[in-house]
Amino acid sequence: MLTMKHINKTFYLNSPDRRTILKNFSLSLKEGEFISVIGSNGAGKSTLFNLIAGSILPDSGKITLDNKDITFLSEHKRAVWIGRIFQDPSKGTAPNLTVEENLAIAYMRSKKSHLLKGITKKDKAFLRERISCLGMGLENRMNTKIGLLSGGQRQAVTLTMATLVKPKLLLLDEHTAALDPVTAEKITELTQSIVSSEHITTMMITHNLTTAIKTGSRLLMMDEGKIAVDIKGEEHSKLTVSNLLERFSQNTKKNLNSDRMLLQYD
Amino acid sequence: MSFIAFLGAIELGLVYTLPAFGIFISFRILNIPDLTADGSFVLGAAVSAVLTAAGHPVAGLAAGITAGAAAGLITAILQTKCGIAPILSGILTMTGLYTINLLVMGGRANMPLLNNETVFTLSAALFGDIFYKLELLLFIVTLIFVLYYLFFKTQLGLSIRATGDNEDMVRASSIDTDSTKMVAFAISNATIALSGALVAQMQQSADINMGAGLIVIGLASLIIGDAIIKNKTITRGLLSVIAGAVLYRLLIALILTTNLAPSYLKLISALVVAIAIATPTMKKKFELKKLQKKEASLC
Amino acid sequence: MKKTLLFITIVLLLATATGCTGPSDSPADNSKDILKIGIALPMEHPSLITIQESIIDELAAQGVDMDINVKNAQGDPSNISTIISQFIGDDVDVIVPIATPTAQAAAAATKDIPIVFAAVSYPVEAGLVTAFDKTDGNITGITNAIAIDETFKLAQTLTPDVKTFGFVYNTGEVNAVSSIERAKEYCDANGLEYKEAIITNTGELQQAAQSLAGKVDAIFSPNDNMVASAMPVLAGEGIRAKLPVYVGADSMVADGGFASVGIDYTILGKQVAQMVIRIIANGEAISDNPIEVVCEYAKIINKTTADQIGAEIPQELLDTFTILE
Repeated sequence: MLTMKHINKTFYLNSPDRRTILKNFSLSLKEGEFISVIGSNGAGKSTLFNLIAGSILPDSGKITLDNKDITFLSEHKRAVWIGRIFQDPSKGTAPNLTVEENLAIAYMRSKKSHLLKGITKKDKAFLRERISCLGMGLENRMNTKIGLLSGGQRQAVTLTMATLVKPKLLLLDEHTAALDPVTAEKITELTQSIVSSEHITTMMITHNLTTAIKTGSRLLMMDEGKIAVDIKGEEHSKLTVSNLLERFSQNTKKNLNSDRMLLQYD
Repeated sequence: MSFIAFLGAIELGLVYTLPAFGIFISFRILNIPDLTADGSFVLGAAVSAVLTAAGHPVAGLAAGITAGAAAGLITAILQTKCGIAPILSGILTMTGLYTINLLVMGGRANMPLLNNETVFTLSAALFGDIFYKLELLLFIVTLIFVLYYLFFKTQLGLSIRATGDNEDMVRASSIDTDSTKMVAFAISNATIALSGALVAQMQQSADINMGAGLIVIGLASLIIGDAIIKNKTITRGLLSVIAGAVLYRLLIALILTTNLAPSYLKLISALVVAIAIATPTMKKKFELKKLQKKEASLC
Repeated sequence: MKKTLLFITIVLLLATATGCTGPSDSPADNSKDILKIGIALPMEHPSLITIQESIIDELAAQGVDMDINVKNAQGDPSNISTIISQFIGDDVDVIVPIATPTAQAAAAATKDIPIVFAAVSYPVEAGLVTAFDKTDGNITGITNAIAIDETFKLAQTLTPDVKTFGFVYNTGEVNAVSSIERAKEYCDANGLEYKEAIITNTGELQQAAQSLAGKVDAIFSPNDNMVASAMPVLAGEGIRAKLPVYVGADSMVADGGFASVGIDYTILGKQVAQMVIRIIANGEAISDNPIEVVCEYAKIINKTTADQIGAEIPQELLDTFTILE
């Protein structure tokens, strides 16, 4: 599904501030996998997502999606296959457009859009139906400007938008981190149900160790631009927080507590 | 104010609604300040004048629209493909257009059209009454209004609106925001140029300086219109633009009828616009004070 | 909804409250008793104001009863047609537009009301008339094409060593462009060379002038509104480079230019007023009043500038010219 081979990314290449975020990074994802990505700040998780989505380009290396080379493909062209949800609820939606209009824009990913056509009644009914699947009553607020909705509601809409047209890969960038615990729980549930029912290959960044372990089928722990821990399959189903931390110390010769990583676990 | 002055003000208001529509697209919908306007207005006028003098006034309007679209595209390309900041891109195009406009008019700064057939003389023949200018302008403004309304209902129109609201999200939906900006700038400047083309034929001359202050007039129209009809939807937004443009010209005409020294014109225009913008805020403050007094008296 | 009603109310109020009268509603009493004159200016500019004041003074001096309405578009071209509409609506007996854009707007707006323009340098090029003596429409006036030949002859007398001229002017003004074309014709016919430095706004004037210093022997700037409004800058550069600056208007000499055989705006204003009286008070036909050229030129030399650039003024000129200190 997704392969990344020997990716290198350095910022501020020609200045004394140069920072190599990813060095000779390689990764391979299988279709249908749900991967949790964890790591301390600065480990390279967001950069990884940015490279996959196309907001930044690698210095060298190759990225392919379903055997198509997308290494230097522009962001909006990749967006046909790659969906992304950010931490900030206001980033994924246009505040002055209505719920319906936002969904309509996301829906334009599908067809070879006839740009001069409008949104048909059929389309509107489809959008309404999809948003009602969330069970949040948003189908009754189709003509409300999104800026008036709460953070949780906006993330829910963004989730619907990202999965309206089934993406090949879904990137979740700490998408519940800015929500209160109850709403976060709800959004996480919704994400799970949509992803599993549609079999969407997903990568999720999170700082919550428990969530990372419980969710999905594979776990990647990153440290200083490298994969420190990669657990999948049988091992993954038996994983606990303590063996995870142990594995990490083993692989990186680092002591987590002294590193003062900002991981939360409950 | 005499009837003729009143009628003249409405006519001017209508013809200057068009650049206000164009500025509405760039400043309000796209949230990008586009300073090409002063230049594309004159470009439309110059092209229209040349064709009118050659006996093709209607073609003059069409050519004006096309030329304006091209000017808008240039600004958009400078911004999106060359990475030049929006305000600067507009200024660059506007500056270059000064020379181009002079060249279009054959190197002259002024081109008279005094005894030529214009769309207005054609309209006079068609309508036969004293309202022939008004009727033609009403027709054109309504036509553009309808076209805009229909356009913004399309997916392309929606993409443009979204680009101005959250560009990242539009790209994430696999839409090329460079293209949406180019289309928007083209339409915006085409409309502004159409207005220039009409003004040239209406006033029977095209002058290199006739675009001076156009952006200010357009913005003033938007602001005044907004104070009257809040632009909650595109339709209401467009209507507010028409209202603002017409009202602005009526105010100017009214100020000119008074016996104030002419130099007061600008100051009074500024005051009127300021009052128009400040009124909603002032109203809220006043109501809040009333509420506070009520609360205080209850304690 | 409330706001829309408010808007409609405002529009209706404006229409009615200030006395909405149609052209047919003029009072029955003969308006010939009090003549209504509408004077329109495009911008605030000393030369144009001089003309305006001179017209008003001369009209008063002629002792005719009149109601003069003066309006200024304040540099905003879109206001010009509003002003003209107002004059037409007020049923004026004559419109007196000062400068070309105002005259063109007036000509476009009415074919009935007499128009006597002031200070349009090239009325034929501006499309107002087909020829100076063909005033069969409703338009005539006083033109102020400057005497290019006279100015250059003056230069020959005052500074005979000048072989190359530098032309400084605004490409956006028809009057300036046309004057320079005639200047080039004169130079070509008389073996003089020239270089140009054009400006599109007053901020460019200093550099334009500096670019010519060292390449030319004298500077010439016609009756160009933009240059005139920043004349001290050009004069300063001329003095610094010890270059004589020949100009097209007396106000420009007063602001530090060297010499001019140019337009006396006061005389121009007088002529306009006299033509207005002839047409509307004495009932003369417009076709009997061909376009006039300003009959007297203002011959001015600025002695202070002359001293600063080291130029000598021959005695005969000291006698015949107006000398400014």
